[in-house]
Amino acid sequence: MSKLTLAIPSKGRLMEQTTEMFGRAGLTVSKVGHARGYRGEIVGLPDVDVAYVSSSEIAAALKSGSVHMGITGEDLVRESMSDADTRLLFLKKLGFGFADVVVAVPQWWIDVATIGDLEAASLPFRRVHGRWPRVATKYMNLTRRFFASKGFGDYRIVESLGATEGTCSSGTAELIVDITTTGETLRANGLKILDDGVILKSEANLLATNAAQWTPELEAVRAQIVKAMQHSASG
Amino acid sequence: MAAESAQQFAALEAQAQVLMSVFTKAGHESVAPSVIQPADVFLDVIGESLRARTYVFTDPDGAELCLRPDLTVPACRLHIARYADPATPAKYCYNGPAFRFQPQGADDTHPREFRQAGVERFGDRDAAAAEADTIALILKALEAAGLKSWSLQIGDLGLFRAVLDAVQMPVRWQKRLSDVFWQPDAFRAELQRLTTAPGAAAKAVPADLVAVLKAGDIAASAAGIHQYLDAKAIEVIGTRTVEEMAERLLDVIADRSAPPLDAASAALIEAYVRVKGPAKSAGEAIAKLLAGAKGGTGAALDAYDRRLALLANAGIPLDRVTFSAEFGRSLEYYTGIVFEVHAPGLSAVSPVAGGGRYDGLMRAAGADRDVTAVGGAIHTERLLSVLKGGRS
Repeated sequence: MSKLTLAIPSKGRLMEQTTEMFGRAGLTVSKVGHARGYRGEIVGLPDVDVAYVSSSEIAAALKSGSVHMGITGEDLVRESMSDADTRLLFLKKLGFGFADVVVAVPQWWIDVATIGDLEAASLPFRRVHGRWPRVATKYMNLTRRFFASKGFGDYRIVESLGATEGTCSSGTAELIVDITTTGETLRANGLKILDDGVILKSEANLLATNAAQWTPELEAVRAQIVKAMQHSASG
Repeated sequence: MAAESAQQFAALEAQAQVLMSVFTKAGHESVAPSVIQPADVFLDVIGESLRARTYVFTDPDGAELCLRPDLTVPACRLHIARYADPATPAKYCYNGPAFRFQPQGADDTHPREFRQAGVERFGDRDAAAAEADTIALILKALEAAGLKSWSLQIGDLGLFRAVLDAVQMPVRWQKRLSDVFWQPDAFRAELQRLTTAPGAAAKAVPADLVAVLKAGDIAASAAGIHQYLDAKAIEVIGTRTVEEMAERLLDVIADRSAPPLDAASAALIEAYVRVKGPAKSAGEAIAKLLAGAKGGTGAALDAYDRRLALLANAGIPLDRVTFSAEFGRSLEYYTGIVFEVHAPGLSAVSPVAGGGRYDGLMRAAGADRDVTAVGGAIHTERLLSVLKGGRS
C-alpha cells in the first residue's frame, strides 16, 4: 500500500518540540540516512513516511495535498488558506509554538486604543499624507480578513518578511500585524497592541488534509497516530 | 470566461466606433492610456479592498503593478504626464480593456476582462455645467449605439455636505460624518454617538495629557504632547505627526463639553440619507426636510435645483432621472455627483454606464493639487448584450 506522509518542521525549537511530543506519545521519530537529510520514519509505524519541511511550507503542502498530515502553527495555516476549516482537520492542539497574531501601533498614539480609533485616525492621516496608513506584515491574508471583519478598509499593506516590528521606527509603515508571545519585542520597539487587536491565538497543531489521497488503511494509520498523541500529555 | 467569438468581436468594434465618434465630435481627444498601471495610486485611493477585485502583481524588479480596473486613474496619469500644469483644461475619450477579478466567478455581465468606452474632462471652470454635459454625452452615445430605453440614477455627495451645513454643527462633526459616509454602519454609530454622548471618548484621555492641550492651538498642543511623551520616555516613531494627534485630541476634548446633537437634526440627516425617488419629487422631499433646518435651506437646495436645471438644459428628460441620497456610498473616490445609467434586462448591480465627479483623484495620481475632474464610462459588453436583446 502507499504510505502516509507526515510533514514535520525541519529546524529549530519547533522541530525539537515536535520530536519530544512524539516521543512522549511513544512514537520515536528518526531521520533516515544522514543527519542532514529530509526524510524520516517512525519506529513501529512502517506505513508512515516523515518529511522534514520548513513550517511555512508545511501549510502549503497541506493545502496542495502533497502530504497527508503535518505539524505547524495555526497562524501559518490560516494565512495560507481562508477556508482552512473545510480543507483541514485540526486533530490536536499541541501545547507549544504559542504565538499571538496582533495589530500593534506606536505607543505614542495615545488616541488610538481600538480598531475604531484607528479608523478615526486614518482619515486625517490621509488628508495630511495623501495616502492610507501602511500596515507592515507577513500575514497579508489574515490582516485583510480581520480588518474586513471589523469594517476597517482605510489602510494599505506592505509586505514585510522579517524584522516587522522595526518598520514603524524606520518609517516604512505606520502600524504592524505580527506575532508575539510576551509582547516584549513590541514594547522594546515602541509599539503597543490594540485592545481589540488580537487576530489569532496560535499554537502548533497536528493537522490532516482532505486534499490528500486517503485510503481506509491510511485512515487507520492516522487514527493510530492521533490516539497515541491524545494519550501523551502536552508539554 | 468563454472564448470571444469573431462575431462578438466585430459587433463590439462596430459599436465602439459609434461611441467614439460621438465622443470625438463633442471635442474629446481619443487617447489610449497604459493597460499596466502602478498599483500604488489605486491602493492609496481605494485602499486595500482594491486587491479583492483587481489583478495586482509584482514585476521582476519588485514593483507592484496592476491591470487597470478602470480607465479613470490611467486617464488622470496621462494628463499629468502631458501637462506641467495639471489644471490645464482637457477633454479625453477612450475605448479599451479594463480588468476586474470576479470573486463569484466571471459571467457575461460581470466579465473579468471588459471594454470601457468613456470620457474624462479636467480643469473645467464651470464644474456643474461640465457634469451635465458629461452625463448628456454618455446618454447621447448610448442612444447613438441604439439604446432606446434607459434610466438615469444620480446621487450627490456635495449635497450631503450642504445638508450638514444646513443642520449646523461643529465643523469637526461635519468632517467626521463626511468621512464615514462611505460606511453605513460606522455612519449610524457616529450619529448615535453625537446625539447621545459626544464627550464619552474624552474620558479615555489621561488628565495630565488634557492639561497640556490648548484649545484651538494645534502647534502649542503638539509642543505640549511632545513634553508629555518625553517625560514618560515614549519615543515618537513613524510618519504620523504629533500635530495630527493633537488635532484629533483637541476634537475629542472639545466634545467633552459639547451639547449632544439635537434629535431633530439627527433625524433630518437620517431622513435625508433615505431620500430616494424621481428627481423632481426627491427635490421636494429635500426642501420639506430642510424647511425645519436651523441653518435654512440655503446652498443645498440651490445646488440641487441648479443641477436638475442643467441636466434639463443638456437635453435630459427629467422624468427618466431618479435621485438617491445614499447612492455613491460604495464608490470612494467620487467627491460630488455620481451617476449610473440602467437599461432594461440588466440587474440593478449591472449599470450599463456610470461615472461622476472625482476632484481629489488627480492629486492622488500625482498632481500637486486638486483639479476639477468629471467623467463617465460605458460597459460596452453589457451595452451590446442589451442591444442584442440577449441575457438579463
